[in-house]
Amino acid sequence: MTCERIEELLSAYLEGELNQTDRAEVESHLAGCADCGALLAVLSRTQKALAGFPELDPSPGLLARLVAIPERKKKFSFTFDFVLKPALQPVFAATAIFMTLLSFYLFSPDKKNIDRAIDQKIHTGYSQAEKLYAKAGSFTERLSETADNVLVSVKNWKVFGGDEDESYK
Amino acid sequence: MLVNAYSKRVFNLAYQFAGSYQEAEDLTQDIFLKLYGALSKYDFEKNFTAWLLTLAKNHLIDTYRKTKWEKAHRDEFDEQFAAPGSPQDPESGLIREADKKLVWKGLNRLAPETRMAVILRDIQDKSYEEVAEILDLPLGTVKSRINRGRLQLAKVLKDRKEEAHDL
Repeated sequence: MTCERIEELLSAYLEGELNQTDRAEVESHLAGCADCGALLAVLSRTQKALAGFPELDPSPGLLARLVAIPERKKKFSFTFDFVLKPALQPVFAATAIFMTLLSFYLFSPDKKNIDRAIDQKIHTGYSQAEKLYAKAGSFTERLSETADNVLVSVKNWKVFGGDEDESYK
Repeated sequence: MLVNAYSKRVFNLAYQFAGSYQEAEDLTQDIFLKLYGALSKYDFEKNFTAWLLTLAKNHLIDTYRKTKWEKAHRDEFDEQFAAPGSPQDPESGLIREADKKLVWKGLNRLAPETRMAVILRDIQDKSYEEVAEILDLPLGTVKSRINRGRLQLAKVLKDRKEEAHDL
């Protein structure tokens, strides 16, 4: 066996995990190779050193911080959970769009023209509404006239004892 | 309670891996924060300790990769490790303490995955199977990784011994 191969087997040799054949081969190599023998001794010391590190106790400050974590998480979720509700997502989206448009308006270098265009739109809209209202008013008058005429013509039918020659309005 | 049952284990793993007491406290806190966030994902059929140590291992190695602790110094061995008990032979006790100091410093030379495997097996005394479960690696890979790590640490001791002889 080469020294490299022995190195690969040294841990298993120390832990008694090798089968008889490998163990015998390692031992015969170690008997004739001072370097591998020295490495085995140092490896054993390394393992002992590692096994000798004692466990430390966490500080009371750390323990207090660890115990407080669930409470802090609860507080956080109480404060911010409502933000994550899916029902509020359209509201947030609409707010974001509104704020974007508002910032475009407020910080636009062409703000005066935008104001003028908005005034015009409002004015046009208002006058269109007025026209519509006026039209609706004349339509109501015509409707009541027609209704009166229909009533008169029905009353004038001979069936109801009227004079069919009476003129309409 | 999770803190009572696992804080010492997680803290020691963090301390042995990072080498700094202050760093280990911060890391333990981060790991517990992650733990509380991930509890809903825990599969009850799995071993909880192994699952928690896997979570801790992932956090430690990820943080190591981001911050590269190898540039930072490990705490001096004497600061935190009081020698447990008095050795029967004072001379061998001194040698053992010197070995511990060198090995403690030498841990920083190991790649993070190798360092974690050596810590779990040789300091925390886990079985190879437990280490394989925590690292999520095949048993053979774990064994060869631990052997490689031990050899690297042994060479640190050997080199220092040769240096001492040369003086």
